[in-house]
Amino acid sequence: MFQDINDVRERLGQQQYIASEEIGTVVYLAQSLCKPILAEGPAGVGKTELAKAWAGALQNPLVRLQCYEGLDESKALYEWEYAKQMLYTQLLRDTLHDFLGDAGSLAEAAGRLAQEEDVFFSESFLLPRPLLTALTSEEPVVLLIDEIDRADVEFEAFLLEVLSDFQVSIPELGTISARHQPMVLLTSNNTRELSEALKRRCLYLFVDYPSRESELDIVRLKVPGLSPDLARQAVEVVQQLRNMDLRKVPSISETLDWARALVALNARQIDEETMRNTLTVLLKYESDVARARRLMSNGGSQRPGQRPGPGQRPGGGQYGR
Amino acid sequence: MDDRIVEFIRGLRAAGVRISLAESIDALHAVETLGVGEKGIFRQSLRATLVKESDDFQAFDELFPLYFGSGGPPMQNAAEELSEDEQEMLQAALSALSGRLQQLMDWLTSGEGPSKEELEELAQRAGAQWAQNPQEGHWITRRMLRQMGFEHLEELIQQLMQRLQEMGMSQDAIEKLMGVVQANREALAEQVAQQIGLQIAQDRAQRSDRLDTSDLMHKPFAALSEEEMEVLRREVRRLVTQLRSRAALRRKRGKKGKFDAKGTIRANQRYGGVPFEMRLKKKKLKPSLVLLCDVSRSTEAVVEFMLHLTQQLDDQVSKMSSFAFYDRLIPMPQDVMVLLGDQQGDAAFDAIRRLLPYRPYGTDLGNSLEIFCEKHLSTVTGRTTLIVLGDARNNFNSPRIDLVKELQRRARRLIWLNPEMETQWGTGDSDMLDYVPCCDAAYSVRNLAQLSTAVDRLLTGH
Repeated sequence: MFQDINDVRERLGQQQYIASEEIGTVVYLAQSLCKPILAEGPAGVGKTELAKAWAGALQNPLVRLQCYEGLDESKALYEWEYAKQMLYTQLLRDTLHDFLGDAGSLAEAAGRLAQEEDVFFSESFLLPRPLLTALTSEEPVVLLIDEIDRADVEFEAFLLEVLSDFQVSIPELGTISARHQPMVLLTSNNTRELSEALKRRCLYLFVDYPSRESELDIVRLKVPGLSPDLARQAVEVVQQLRNMDLRKVPSISETLDWARALVALNARQIDEETMRNTLTVLLKYESDVARARRLMSNGGSQRPGQRPGPGQRPGGGQYGR
Repeated sequence: MDDRIVEFIRGLRAAGVRISLAESIDALHAVETLGVGEKGIFRQSLRATLVKESDDFQAFDELFPLYFGSGGPPMQNAAEELSEDEQEMLQAALSALSGRLQQLMDWLTSGEGPSKEELEELAQRAGAQWAQNPQEGHWITRRMLRQMGFEHLEELIQQLMQRLQEMGMSQDAIEKLMGVVQANREALAEQVAQQIGLQIAQDRAQRSDRLDTSDLMHKPFAALSEEEMEVLRREVRRLVTQLRSRAALRRKRGKKGKFDAKGTIRANQRYGGVPFEMRLKKKKLKPSLVLLCDVSRSTEAVVEFMLHLTQQLDDQVSKMSSFAFYDRLIPMPQDVMVLLGDQQGDAAFDAIRRLLPYRPYGTDLGNSLEIFCEKHLSTVTGRTTLIVLGDARNNFNSPRIDLVKELQRRARRLIWLNPEMETQWGTGDSDMLDYVPCCDAAYSVRNLAQLSTAVDRLLTGH
């Protein structure tokens, strides 16, 4: 358990995650108010990393539920292990035969079997999926529900039940409630609007691209091999690219990849040739690459256009790997 | 402090941020946990619990300093460091000024700004009570400062310096005095600005007659002003989320269909034919829609919202095609849908007008239906829900009831949405009453609330 906000930031820092004051506050509040966090923001700014660092800092296991279209309760909560049940019935055929052999009528045999059917619907045939794992775990866990915006609305409604009571009911076994309330982090890339009911239950954390200074800190922490001078230049380039009107602007993960590429290529400085060779690490669309090259060959004389979208907020999430 | 937070929440709500009671309680709990000692943390604990939409951060950032600001930087007392002689000189110099300006210089030199009552009176005179939102505060502040005599301040300070010099005050003391006055001047302006911003925000929170979206939902389309249309356009996004989750939940509950014998046998082949897994037939509940929109002047608003709603809900329908008709019928151009998606209703209708030029009394439903049956009949199948959105005012052209009957037979359902009141159906050149018997259902959609109910019914698929 964290003592206070500074403790949160310090211990996340030990996990190689540079947390802003905002992140520290929200994580601490989530712990003391027992509320899930909903983290939104562009892809690759370290929302998922936050969960990993959180679990690491508390030395608790991380249970991850990756959402996708078509995800349903049986994939998220539990499934009966049909094959195992089948196998057991086959192996126990003789025992069953002895057990049922002296039954006088079919009805009696069926009756006896019905009394024993609990055997086949016990926890040993239950295949727990992430949500059930998180609820039944012996120690507290950090539950990461990743990219909730990709799941269907039906699943969101189901999740709402689980997140409000932290218990689920399995018809054959009864209600299972959480031994320890897990710490929950939901992430969303905002590809669709989430329901208000879900938002109401969560603390909201908006993670944006970091400021120049914090990004430099991250690069220094993660890629110590890069010379400080080069790191500053690299971050400068990335920050400029973010202000351009691109299909996909580079996020922190791409900055780090690029920094590592620069180290691997033994680059001394970021000149036109290095840029040309490595730009594809930063930009993932051909049109973006062409556009960036055009601007760079102008020698930056043309002011890059301001990217439309949500305002640039300072602070925000930092990436660690 | 709790009162102040509750007041702040009311202010946020008035600014259009949706905050539930549960969230306010969370905010109070959070503040209880973290305290109010550190402003940054206090601010973040309120934001994390109250604002769940990054679009609303702006409103939060605007209002927070108004409610929890220090009331502006403190002002200093310039007279303190002066000797008694010098203080007398200052008083004498000040008394030579005329009333309003004397008061201003008095505030600036003594470091005691205007009292709360005085500020309120000044604000009243500057028209703060008419302001709608805190952004207008800049104007009011400027007007107030002018009333207080700020525009003459430069001359005033020069005059005062001169007079003090004549009276024999030392150059050093004068400079020090003026330094304090300059600092106080900025502090006072800041104080006034904050006071005004807060006052406007509080007034807005208390005003009961502000545009309320739930009222607007029930206001007829025809009576909406441009500003109200804007409010509703933003509201559509929320409405869509609601409709979508309702439709999805309904589909989830409806998923338990009939027993699927074929599917069950196939699924259990891997268990040697022992039926372990039961398969149920999935009900096809996602409807496929064909939408015919009357794009005459009288139906513009309703068509815009209908298209917007159905476009946003396209993941809830299996197929969707829309047509626009006026005197003839055309498939809805793609760029119109794009413009609607960007909430540019007017530009979208300009695009339609280019293809279907407006002329008075131009609506010809009969002709449009004829074109539809000739060219696009293949879009209507036994699974299609056909929706006609229009007032059925046909300018006494032939209503072509026969074609409507034919379409109704072909389609799964034919639904007519009419933006007029039911009592107006059939009056004048309206052929509505002739159409009604051919439809599976006909609803009046005069406002957004009725429209969203109608769309909700469409999505039920039965």
